[in-house]
Amino acid sequence: MTDLVKITVDGREIEVPAGELVIKAAQDHGTYIPRFCWHPRMKEVGMCRMCLVEIETPRGTILTTSCTTPASAGMVVHTASETTKKAQAGILEFLLINHPLDCPVCDKGGECPLQDQTMAYGPGESRFVEEKRHFEKPIPISDLVFLDRERCILCARCTRFADEIAGDPLIEFKDRGNHTQVQTFPDLPFSSYFSGNTVQICPVGALTASAYRFKARPWDLRRVESSCSHCTVGCSIAVEASRNDVLRFNGVDNDATNQGWLSDKCRFGFEFIGSENRLRTPLIKVDGEFQETTWADALDLVAERLGSIIEEHGGEAVGGIGGARSTNEDAYAFGKFMRTVVGSNHLDAQLDDGLDARFLAGVSPRAKIGDLDHAAAILLWAPDLKEESGSLYLRVRHAVQEGGAKLVVIHPRRTGLDDRATHKLTYRPGQGFGLLADLAGGEGDYAAVLETLSHGPVVAIVGRTGLTEAPELAEAVAGFALGLPDATVLPFARRSNVFGALDMGVAPSLLPGRVAADDAEAMAQLEAVWGPIPTHEARDTLGILEGLAVGDLKALILLGADPVRDVPDATVARRGIEAAEFVVAIDLFLTDTNQLADVVLPAEAFGEKEGTVTNLEGRVQKVNRIVTGPGQSQADWAILDDISRRLSKPLAFASAEAICKEIADVAPAYAGMTWELLEWDEKEGAVVPYGEAVQPLIHHPAAADRKALEAMSRQPSSGAFALHLARTLYDDGVLMRNSLSLHALAPGAAVHLHPEDAGRLGVTEGALVEVKSVDASIRLPAVLDSSLLTGVVYVPFNQPWTPSLGAALSVVVAAGKEVSA
Amino acid sequence: MSLWPADVQERAKELIGRYPDPKSAVMPLLYLAMRQDGYLTEAGMGEVAGWTGHTPAQVQSVATFYGMFKTEPLGQYLVSVCTSISCMLLGGDDVLEAVEEATGVPHGETDAERLFSVEHVECLGACGGAPAVQVNYELIEGSTPDQARALCRWLQDERPEVVNTDDMQERFGGRRSFDWAIAESENAVGPYPAFGPYGTTPGGEV
Ligand code: SF4
Ligand code: FES
Ligand code: FES
Repeated sequence: MTDLVKITVDGREIEVPAGELVIKAAQDHGTYIPRFCWHPRMKEVGMCRMCLVEIETPRGTILTTSCTTPASAGMVVHTASETTKKAQAGILEFLLINHPLDCPVCDKGGECPLQDQTMAYGPGESRFVEEKRHFEKPIPISDLVFLDRERCILCARCTRFADEIAGDPLIEFKDRGNHTQVQTFPDLPFSSYFSGNTVQICPVGALTASAYRFKARPWDLRRVESSCSHCTVGCSIAVEASRNDVLRFNGVDNDATNQGWLSDKCRFGFEFIGSENRLRTPLIKVDGEFQETTWADALDLVAERLGSIIEEHGGEAVGGIGGARSTNEDAYAFGKFMRTVVGSNHLDAQLDDGLDARFLAGVSPRAKIGDLDHAAAILLWAPDLKEESGSLYLRVRHAVQEGGAKLVVIHPRRTGLDDRATHKLTYRPGQGFGLLADLAGGEGDYAAVLETLSHGPVVAIVGRTGLTEAPELAEAVAGFALGLPDATVLPFARRSNVFGALDMGVAPSLLPGRVAADDAEAMAQLEAVWGPIPTHEARDTLGILEGLAVGDLKALILLGADPVRDVPDATVARRGIEAAEFVVAIDLFLTDTNQLADVVLPAEAFGEKEGTVTNLEGRVQKVNRIVTGPGQSQADWAILDDISRRLSKPLAFASAEAICKEIADVAPAYAGMTWELLEWDEKEGAVVPYGEAVQPLIHHPAAADRKALEAMSRQPSSGAFALHLARTLYDDGVLMRNSLSLHALAPGAAVHLHPEDAGRLGVTEGALVEVKSVDASIRLPAVLDSSLLTGVVYVPFNQPWTPSLGAALSVVVAAGKEVSA
Repeated sequence: MSLWPADVQERAKELIGRYPDPKSAVMPLLYLAMRQDGYLTEAGMGEVAGWTGHTPAQVQSVATFYGMFKTEPLGQYLVSVCTSISCMLLGGDDVLEAVEEATGVPHGETDAERLFSVEHVECLGACGGAPAVQVNYELIEGSTPDQARALCRWLQDERPEVVNTDDMQERFGGRRSFDWAIAESENAVGPYPAFGPYGTTPGGEV
């Protein structure tokens, strides 16, 4: 604990942590000192001088910057003395010398610190009559951000953010004195995954976002706070809308999660909400074509077809996939619908791209994101966080840079955090088990790595590094990690509310509230509320799809899921869905999957509905409504409720909030959870404690059991390469496809291979390469990538205009044959 | 892959080795890059970024902050005339005018043949020998406008491969700040300062 010291601010004595910056100490006690360059989440620079205050010292009263002065015992500070006011007015007069005062055409006008502080502290007029400096009006510094150098006041917030926080110092000051400007290097844009944050923190309108430019004035925006739906961190965001259109997301500073930052995918990934491609009316397929219809007709049809299939083949002939994009309330409704109305246990929120549901829901002790800040060591054996979870990536960076944590990164290729890693181990997909045995053995080169990990507290972030990797590896890694000193584990899966959906029992092996489906006592308790629950063996997503393909299952219900795009092996997904007798999809868009459905029902999206979501730490947060859904779209739970009534087994939900109450009643881990609680608990949400209810680690051998581990290692077939198939931040997922600013940023299909392999195959950078898997053969341009081991190729998953390669480990790679002109 | 010849790469490694962090070597390497191309090209700055681990934007930031890193093509001879206070009082402005006239190049510019670049600069720390002029950062003190003209003519006619302070002082200089200063041993070969260790002197190729 830091010592507290007494200081006097404007005659008022306050107690503050010793060494706290005066600007912060004063603010925490209700005295706001104006500032431009200081930002609570970045290092101070004392650049703008707006925060000048008078401080009494033994050598007299001095005027100094409160953002660079640490509080010390007995300090006397004047923030509103005559001298201070004069200094503030003088600084503003200087800052405005070159500022164009084009507020009427500036996006920032109305929420601009320069405007506001000029009103509050400025001199009211300027003595500057000379020509202001001129620059070309806004220049794009990336695909998403424009820079107007005339408006810039050179506070260095953007450049410091790029360097200190994002680790992408692609913008910097250029030139000197009166010519100083923020700039990129020619032809090297600020293509950081985090560029949008600079727009939010720029204290003037110098940086603007292409997605929001000239769209609205701040005073016309309505705003609610919510929890972002693009990955499982659930960053706090402000959703802003005008005239029923969502126009902007901004980061909200939640100390527990994103600390104010957002990746560009999260910040600009709102465009899909208002996309004109959104479904507005129910669609039914007549003679192979979708036709618009009424809710009544569509629901009647669904009930009739499902009803007759259930009657003929039993409920277990129906599978349900989805829920990871829904709220907890919707996911709960889905689970209850499947198990009690349909009478089937075949349901899964995961799309065969994650880890075992019990592992995700049960592994403990569970780390909190904030634990990273205090970790002595971080083990990251998971997807490249920079590509899959921007804010977790920033948090780990920060923990290493500021918290001094030692980072061990284990991955098949380069990751965004390699430059911060004390140790980086690269391995061939399929060989992770052997590497784990080596690491646990701690011989030779591994001794130093093990030594780094032997100082606690250790936080292990564990997930599947790629889609060809055996999910059991992550469990084995977690098992190993939990044996490290003072260790906690954060299991990683990407899709937005997947943890919430699992907690709601949308998994073959789980019941609501992180209870194992084979827990007889829990089952009995649930049946007391739900009525009878079927007992047949449950299938996961892959099982459902395969069952449909061979006719064991007849019907499929999709809830915001696009397996043809998202199941690693698209062929399996397509085969299953095409074979199904009846498919009904509840979704926002027509997708590759629900194009194949018989009925598609329009659902409400993020921003259009209220509910709760649960992130990877088990933190439950609220999502809120700000606009109404397009056309006749409805909430997932309401649609399911309507179908249930027509099947004469009414779920009879009154509202999403009522569902939340029911969850609190039946899901042990969620006992006491209410919407009010989440509103009151400020912004941090409430963490659902992880208990012993699920036995998470069941599939893997122990890290010490080298024999067993080696038996699980897999090799590509002889002459073939091992495939590393992994996601990129921007891809061809349906939400990205309907967020125009972002879709174009997907890196595009390519095959990365080691230069030596390329040499052997006679392939040069950019040349077409033939990649063959079990059921596909595609031609991709080559990228030479020396971060891979030889014998490994990396293919980014789900890129625009590329067919699926499947997710088998083994692929055959050859130079593409020349196409004759 | 480096754009630089092997010997320059060796020099770069040697320079980087002097610092605990390669990033610290950015300024010496910028001189090395200027020695290669005559000024700092984008490729040159990119090269320095590659060696030091900075991004090109960061290298550009350093390169454009300091006046002696030039990002525009320069003439073979960079003539810098001090117009700060001491020199100004002792006729620096006239010297500048003489240089502009003799070379036909207004300050801040370079001629089409890229023989001369002319600039006026702030105090060169040679106030005792004001007015001060530099050719490729080799100092000449106490020049009159006539001597400055002669200096320019000499550069134009002789096109010396290298220039040296003591030599030019002898021919075109006047009163020096320190007569007892040790002889200047480095010779400048282009519009960048001559630093033996940085390889920007004749034979700087290592
Ligand atoms: S662009 Fe904005 S954030 Fe960046 S230095 Fe200028 S005023 Fe500051
Ligand atoms: S806020 Fe203190 S100098 Fe800018
Ligand atoms: S003023 Fe010219 S050298 Fe100092």
